[in-house]
Amino acid sequence: MAKWTRSLNLKKVCWEYRVGLWQCPQFLFLIMGIIIILAILVTYIVASRYQEPEFAAITVLALTAILFTIGNLIVRAFETVALAARSKSEFISIMSHQLRSPLSAIKWQLDLLLTGNQQNPLETIYAQNERMIQSVNDLLEVNRIEDNDLILRPAPSLIKEMTQQVANEYKNFAAASNVGIEIEAEENIPKMLVDGERIKHVIGHLIDNAVRYSVGGGNVVINISAKGNKLIWKITDHGAGIPADDQKRVFDKFFRSNQALRYQTEGAGVGLFIAKAIIIKSGGDIGFSSLPNKGSTFWFSLPIKK
Amino acid sequence: MKKILFVEDEEALQQAMGKMLEQHNYNVLKALDGEIGLKVAQKEMPDLILLDLILPKKNGFEVLEELKNDPATKNIPVIVLTNLEGSAEVERALSLGATTYLVKANYKLDELLTKIEIVLNHAH
Repeated sequence: MAKWTRSLNLKKVCWEYRVGLWQCPQFLFLIMGIIIILAILVTYIVASRYQEPEFAAITVLALTAILFTIGNLIVRAFETVALAARSKSEFISIMSHQLRSPLSAIKWQLDLLLTGNQQNPLETIYAQNERMIQSVNDLLEVNRIEDNDLILRPAPSLIKEMTQQVANEYKNFAAASNVGIEIEAEENIPKMLVDGERIKHVIGHLIDNAVRYSVGGGNVVINISAKGNKLIWKITDHGAGIPADDQKRVFDKFFRSNQALRYQTEGAGVGLFIAKAIIIKSGGDIGFSSLPNKGSTFWFSLPIKK
Repeated sequence: MKKILFVEDEEALQQAMGKMLEQHNYNVLKALDGEIGLKVAQKEMPDLILLDLILPKKNGFEVLEELKNDPATKNIPVIVLTNLEGSAEVERALSLGATTYLVKANYKLDELLTKIEIVLNHAH
């Protein structure tokens, strides 16, 4: 009985499915039922008032059209659910592969340690562990984005210092591939209200990509400039560039260009998807321009809010 | 001493596998990407190749196909050692001529050694 009354609370049921009312099968089914009852009543009334059978026929036809439309909405709603289920299983398969790589590295290193064949695998194990933490954090962030649950925590932030700090974190990593990182910033960049941790994540991810795809060295340049009431970051590399065919999909979840896989085998293809969601949610915009074999410039803008 | 080529871009795995195999008196050749893997195979003619699938420059399938199309290398047994586990991948690797398909995370080093020795003994 309790279960039955609960299923009558459509608003709650649909909220649990995380779909809007017009995408919620339960709600649509109820509407359809009401329309069928109305249709029968109206047809009866029309048929008893007018002698001409055309009136009744047209009424039935009109109501059938409405029922057809609602039926169609229900099918669509089902499609949404089916697609979500497929996307979740795709997600699980990619993420488990992401975790399996460091897990097998740890397993083999521990094997050596247990058989007394390895002196100090701790650094390796630590690094692999960090990789797993990063993968799981990305996984949770993607989940938050998909559930519309990405909540930003803006605080006044020193933009230039923040960017510099992220660039410094990547200095050694870049130097290892003969890549330098430069920052060009205007003098008086204001303090801004942003979610510092998340914007740092975006900057970091763009620098990371720029360095990874800088095949054969060259500098990565980070430019920060104000334009109107927006602040714009541009991160430019002179690397592999993105093939024209792949350009449309770089912000798609799980998208990894075949070209990219030739340079960079790690990664689940969620970095730019997360970056875009963070920037859009912050009221900004993100994009890029790229020429194969010449390099790419990724940019994003944020509204200047003090 | 038998030569085993390990084509794998993950240093931590290279290092662990290398150490274990050396301890059991194998000569281990390392390649960190598919292109180098193919070159080393053609030059050194190893007794066995352990091949990852997701590799820089040339992926494992491409390497496998080229190895099997080259009369010089086509008889070298290849064990695919990967963390991918889709049935499409397994089928593709086996139809290209891989001897066995193993998932890295599922095996301890000594279990892999057993698998490797079975393939080596079978080949000669």
